[in-house]
Amino acid sequence: MIKVGIPRALLYYQYYPMWKTFFEELGAEVVISPPTTQIMLSSGSSRVVAETCLPVKVFLGHVLSLVGKCDYIFIPAIRSVKKKVYNCSKFLGLPDMTKAVIPESPSILDIDIDVNKRKRDLYQAIYQLGRHFTWNPFKVRQASIAAWQAHLSYIQLMSSHRLTPPQAIERISGTLEANPKAYSTHSTSTQGVIAIIGHPYLLYDEHVNHRLIHRLERFGYKVLTPEMLTTEGLESATARLVGSAYWTYEGEIVGAGGHYLENGADGVIGIMTFGCGPDSLMMDMVRRHAARLRATAFMSLTVEEHTAEAGVVTRLEAFVDMIQRKRRRQVKVCV
Amino acid sequence: MEVYLGIDVGSVTTKLVALDGSNELVTYLYLLTQGKPIKMVQQGLKQIKQQLPKDADICGVATTGSARYLAGVIVGADLVKNEITSHAVAALQYIPEVQTIIEIGGQDSKIIIVREGIVIDFGMNTVCAAGTGSFLDHQALRLDMSIEEFAQRALGSRATVRIAGRCTVFAESDMIHKQQMGHRIEDILYGLCQALVRNYLNNVGLGKDIQPPVVFQGGVAFNQGIVKALQEELNTEIIVPSHHEVMGAIGAALLVHEEMVRNNNGSKFKGFGVSEVKYHTSSFECKTCPNLCEIAQLSLNGQVLARWGGRCDLWERSLSS
Repeated sequence: MIKVGIPRALLYYQYYPMWKTFFEELGAEVVISPPTTQIMLSSGSSRVVAETCLPVKVFLGHVLSLVGKCDYIFIPAIRSVKKKVYNCSKFLGLPDMTKAVIPESPSILDIDIDVNKRKRDLYQAIYQLGRHFTWNPFKVRQASIAAWQAHLSYIQLMSSHRLTPPQAIERISGTLEANPKAYSTHSTSTQGVIAIIGHPYLLYDEHVNHRLIHRLERFGYKVLTPEMLTTEGLESATARLVGSAYWTYEGEIVGAGGHYLENGADGVIGIMTFGCGPDSLMMDMVRRHAARLRATAFMSLTVEEHTAEAGVVTRLEAFVDMIQRKRRRQVKVCV
Repeated sequence: MEVYLGIDVGSVTTKLVALDGSNELVTYLYLLTQGKPIKMVQQGLKQIKQQLPKDADICGVATTGSARYLAGVIVGADLVKNEITSHAVAALQYIPEVQTIIEIGGQDSKIIIVREGIVIDFGMNTVCAAGTGSFLDHQALRLDMSIEEFAQRALGSRATVRIAGRCTVFAESDMIHKQQMGHRIEDILYGLCQALVRNYLNNVGLGKDIQPPVVFQGGVAFNQGIVKALQEELNTEIIVPSHHEVMGAIGAALLVHEEMVRNNNGSKFKGFGVSEVKYHTSSFECKTCPNLCEIAQLSLNGQVLARWGGRCDLWERSLSS
């Protein structure tokens, strides 16, 4: 059976169920890289110039960890998934960059996704991708329809059950029952609700964010994430805050930030990587919105390769204190 | 006499304060950490014991600062609190109407925005330690003067000298350049103060709503040159509390007092005897998973008291079980 490797990085958290379904429908076996470790991060960063952003270094580390474990590696070039809204350039050149810096990589299956082109081009691209597995265009069509269905139900699952992408993926692959701990979010929260916003590859990579969700839960907070909102809720918040965002996933971050600042959370934490241009602009919009509203606490945390745990811990402790002391004061006033 | 101890172990200095039952300052200590946090906490305890009245009864101990967890285990702290909350609480105790707290310490700098007695926003220096106490110390040393003299001479500036303050590396080369061009040392020193203040406000203070009254605390508030530069840049009076250098420790003591009253439990303070005990620290690389975390441990008489540094709870858990 042909093995297709998928790096557990960058767009994995958004599209994994879709990709997995597509390849499995075509008879392939899907292999995912393990969760990020220090060794993966160092091996990834050793391949590129220092200025390359952290998520890309992490991604390359994942590709390296898949070398020798699969026949193909799936690295799509997702240029645009919404008309006139584009992705960050790192996604555009991802397959080519990987080829250039990891020559020993298994053959790269790449596909250009750009909805600004004609529909026919997209179908053609999907067919080209499927041709690695079958000559039968009908089978490719079937696989892509199944993949799209899997994607829709994944998104629906996250918003209706308030699951994070890793939780939803576990649930889909049936490993959740074996590990009921993943549901801890819903039972232990007593202190309040904190929403975290940022790219999924930062929010759910525990190595990169120093176990942010785990720490907040240990402080007794219920954690909400952008995926728990419906697409409509997200889009209307984005439209209110920035009109339309030029960058695909940044729009979602601003929308989620705006939504949670306005309702449903005691605090909002934005996570971004050092040196990310779009993030620095978009997080600032959220910060300004928070300053205007003055109702919900907001903090942005910047992570990079050398971020020490102490810095993250101190800020989180102070943030949680800020929420608690404010609440205690309000209770006193009411009495 | 009821006494609450606050211990702030920072990167450069260690501060201990004792407050009485009505939160009045009984005594305090300001020591250099010298890279030996455990020894300094022990020495500080020994010294502060002598300064305390005979009938002092320690009703609560709190630790704060970057070595707060380590110090907390050593003294048996009732509360381990981050420095941001501690500084805010202390400032509010002395200047209840404060709206902005600027704190510049040895290695980090913070800004805390307060409205109506509640912290609503804060910031800390992220990737850059430019403009903190250590850099000023380093420059004073390079110019062969004490940090006290540095501050005094900066005040004697008569002409403006612009120093690039974005990064200490550039600031230093800029200072050397200006010095070799023949600028007066006083002007260069004050130029540096202005550069550091600019850097602080553009970095830590970015996007923060700075409103008076502004309180300036932390060790760097000793430096009148920085105080003056802040005053000019913000165009408002800068309040430096009389015990600005130990405000973090005061805040910790205030918080533990509050906590002890609420919980009504006895203090876990291990007593002043801990200053005589020989603690042992060591570290090892955990090989359980590919993260290779460096685990640090503190032990006493061969018994491990605490472990830190793991990305997971493995070692902390193994200790409690």
